[in-house]
Amino acid sequence: MFLLGLFNKLFKNKNNGNGESKDVESPKVKEDIEENIKYIKDMLKDSDDIIYREFWVGEEFQHKLELVFVDGLVDKGIINEHVMHSLMLDSRQAKPSIDEIKKNIYEVIKKAAITGGDIKEIDDLDKCITSILSGDTALFLDGHPKVVIISSKGWQMRSVAPPETEMVVRGAREGFTETLRVNTALVRRWIRDPKFKIKQMQIGKRSKTDIALLYIDDIVNKDLLSLIQERLKQIDIDCILESGYIEQLIEEDWHSPFPQMLNTERPDKVAASVLEGRIAILIDNSPFALIIPTTLATLFQSPEDYFERWMISSLLRILRFTAAIIALVGPSIYIAFTSYHPGMIPTKLALYIASTRQGVPFPAFMEALIMEATFELLREAGIRLPVPIGQTIGIVGGLIIGQAAVMAGIVSPLMVIVVAVTAVSSFSIPSYSAAIAFRLLRFAFMILAAVLGLYGIMLGFILMLTHLVVLKSFGLPYLSPFVEINLSDLADTIIRAPLMVFKKKTTYT
Amino acid sequence: MKKVLILFVVLSLFLTGCWDKREINELAFVQGIGMDIDKDKMCNITVQVLKPANLATSSGGGGGGAAAGKPYEVYSSRGVDFAKAFSNFNTELSRTLFLQHNEIIFIGENLARSGIYSMLDFVTRNPEFRRTSYLVVVSGGTIDDLMKLSKSVEKYPYREILGMIQNQKNTSSAYVCDINHFVETLETEEVQPIVGRLEIVKKDGKPQHARFVGAAAFKYDKMVGLLTEQETKGIMWMDNLIKNTSLVVDKGPKGDKTHISFTIIKANSSITPKVNGEDVSFDVKINFDSNMIEENSKYNLTDLKMIKGLEDLQQEKVKSEVLDALNAVQKKYKVDSVGFGQKLQEKYPKVWAKLKDRWDEIYPNVKVNVSVKATLKRSGLTSKPIEPR
Repeated sequence: MFLLGLFNKLFKNKNNGNGESKDVESPKVKEDIEENIKYIKDMLKDSDDIIYREFWVGEEFQHKLELVFVDGLVDKGIINEHVMHSLMLDSRQAKPSIDEIKKNIYEVIKKAAITGGDIKEIDDLDKCITSILSGDTALFLDGHPKVVIISSKGWQMRSVAPPETEMVVRGAREGFTETLRVNTALVRRWIRDPKFKIKQMQIGKRSKTDIALLYIDDIVNKDLLSLIQERLKQIDIDCILESGYIEQLIEEDWHSPFPQMLNTERPDKVAASVLEGRIAILIDNSPFALIIPTTLATLFQSPEDYFERWMISSLLRILRFTAAIIALVGPSIYIAFTSYHPGMIPTKLALYIASTRQGVPFPAFMEALIMEATFELLREAGIRLPVPIGQTIGIVGGLIIGQAAVMAGIVSPLMVIVVAVTAVSSFSIPSYSAAIAFRLLRFAFMILAAVLGLYGIMLGFILMLTHLVVLKSFGLPYLSPFVEINLSDLADTIIRAPLMVFKKKTTYT
Repeated sequence: MKKVLILFVVLSLFLTGCWDKREINELAFVQGIGMDIDKDKMCNITVQVLKPANLATSSGGGGGGAAAGKPYEVYSSRGVDFAKAFSNFNTELSRTLFLQHNEIIFIGENLARSGIYSMLDFVTRNPEFRRTSYLVVVSGGTIDDLMKLSKSVEKYPYREILGMIQNQKNTSSAYVCDINHFVETLETEEVQPIVGRLEIVKKDGKPQHARFVGAAAFKYDKMVGLLTEQETKGIMWMDNLIKNTSLVVDKGPKGDKTHISFTIIKANSSITPKVNGEDVSFDVKINFDSNMIEENSKYNLTDLKMIKGLEDLQQEKVKSEVLDALNAVQKKYKVDSVGFGQKLQEKYPKVWAKLKDRWDEIYPNVKVNVSVKATLKRSGLTSKPIEPR
């Protein structure tokens, strides 16, 4: 909570400097159109992408109207076709009594003239500006203290593409995009239950980012829901750039290397989680949804586990847990065995290691550190490099560093194998956030192994487990269901039992 | 406060660690350690130390090079006791001796005869010695001879001998004893230990190779005599240790002179003590199943009488092995290596309590009845022998 406090302090100070305050009441829409437009123009001064379109309607052009929208954020087709065309041309063909129109031009325009689908009216100028800036079109009418907001969002957006960080062989290929509305629709398509709720709010004093809470009303834990809403409301920050901001600002324990929320690009994963009673948070401009609460076991689940037969899925689960342990302690076991406990290695292997390490000038710890650091470098560089050059890194890494380092006698061949196996293992953990947690802890374990041998590794395990046992994700123990013994809950952890077993499942696992 | 605590924990990690750190490539791997005692009662230790660089296979990394020499080196050291002798190695070795991968301890005949207690104490006190290391008495030569054997399939003699010991379960021709087993029997008053024996075969006065055959009978920690292969087998029959071995009889069912070989596929034995007043006797019952693997007198095994005859021959042979063994341990060396005393103690503890103190006198004259039951199960792929015409 210390960091959160720091954040708050920082941002608060900034705001005070700008002299902005929440207490000032925002102005209402006036009757005089000129005044309204002037206010908006004042507020949005020097923003050249805002378009003000003034036009006249009526047989004698007696009604003055004005559209305000942001160029690029709106679908001009909607404005031309369903607003201007309707108002300026089509409405002339309508034949209501002149009197009525005169009396109630606003209602007529709103209800009979605009053919756009989604409109609402507001009387608050600041809200009006927010709407304009989020891609809606504001229609001002002279002489009426209301604004009609026409939903006309239509900017250039990435189309729905396969989720790149969570590929599956069998299962839906859709991944979230950067547009919140598209994302909520993707989830809605999986759940047609009327109890499925998508509750929206805005966070970020300047960004005013839309975020949506997704849950099923009669399954979700109400306390959890209000807890999350409470924490979201407490967020006091200028801008939410990615779901990671939300994750870090509302998580329970910022000391922990482990992710306390699952993030996913897959709508089916979100749908499945929501159906289990969890809450998903979708954030505009981010293709990653957050799922709350999360346990350690969920980080090892892949949607595919449920699509393939249970036997192979169980095997894969066991494989993943083993991989996590290897990713965590692979190099440290090597260090501990070669530096402290050579007697525990089978004789022939021990002799082989001794013979290959004959010319190696570094102790095992340095050797492992060099190789691990090299590997991390390669991985980091691989992310930065453009795709066509990216392949070069594979050649440099695999051939030159792996082979040449051994030939040069800087590292032993077995070390290269250990690093490779560790790397492959860390990639087989489905959740990237969990994988990087294990990656980080690997170095801690290496130091422990270098200092205390196997005893150090065990010490590390005890420390890690103690932390995990204490850790909670929004009230749910991070290690559940391992911490409370309930056989039916264990059906979806290290193994994935046949689907029939899940009928009685009540808790999150 | 919390930060100070964390700092303290982290620092303590770095301050206490590393004291027993030894990099694997800075160790002298001991593969085979021999201990003996010389005429001046000085303790001798001989170790076979591997040179891992020379072990690497053709394409191996390291500094292998093309002309890899002998992959091991033999070092000897002398001292007033074994610990002193062992620490004297430091004066001539660049690396520390690493014993955790050593699985055999060779005992010289002189040491064995004069008592191995001091050696046993050194070995069991030092955490680096494996408690599962095999104990082997070397006969027919010195330990130096053993370390310099020339004939070898493996890369160095130790591997060869380890292979022999592990292979032993296929032949049951020698007794296998590790430190744990030896200490256990030494601490049991009703049984006397037996240790496996390695016999060095010399040719023109030069040690050629070794045979792991027979055993050495101990009375407490002192060796009293060597047992031949035949006698060892007899003891193993009684101890129920025969699993899979071959059995050769040297006459046919009709009394003709020939050789017939069998393999034992299953065997079990029991020793039952019988008490009649002060008079103690033992019944040894042995049952085993066997397959015939070779015969060259063209017996027709479809004949039941013939099978019975072959079974009788096997029984006779096994019985003679057992009687040989009894003769050796009971009459010649007068040690209760089989553990008749233990059987008596298990079944008649009161009788044992009475006889315990006089057991050494009673034992050599105790009557042992041996009965053997053999069953011939199969005769290989042939039921009727090949008949050339």
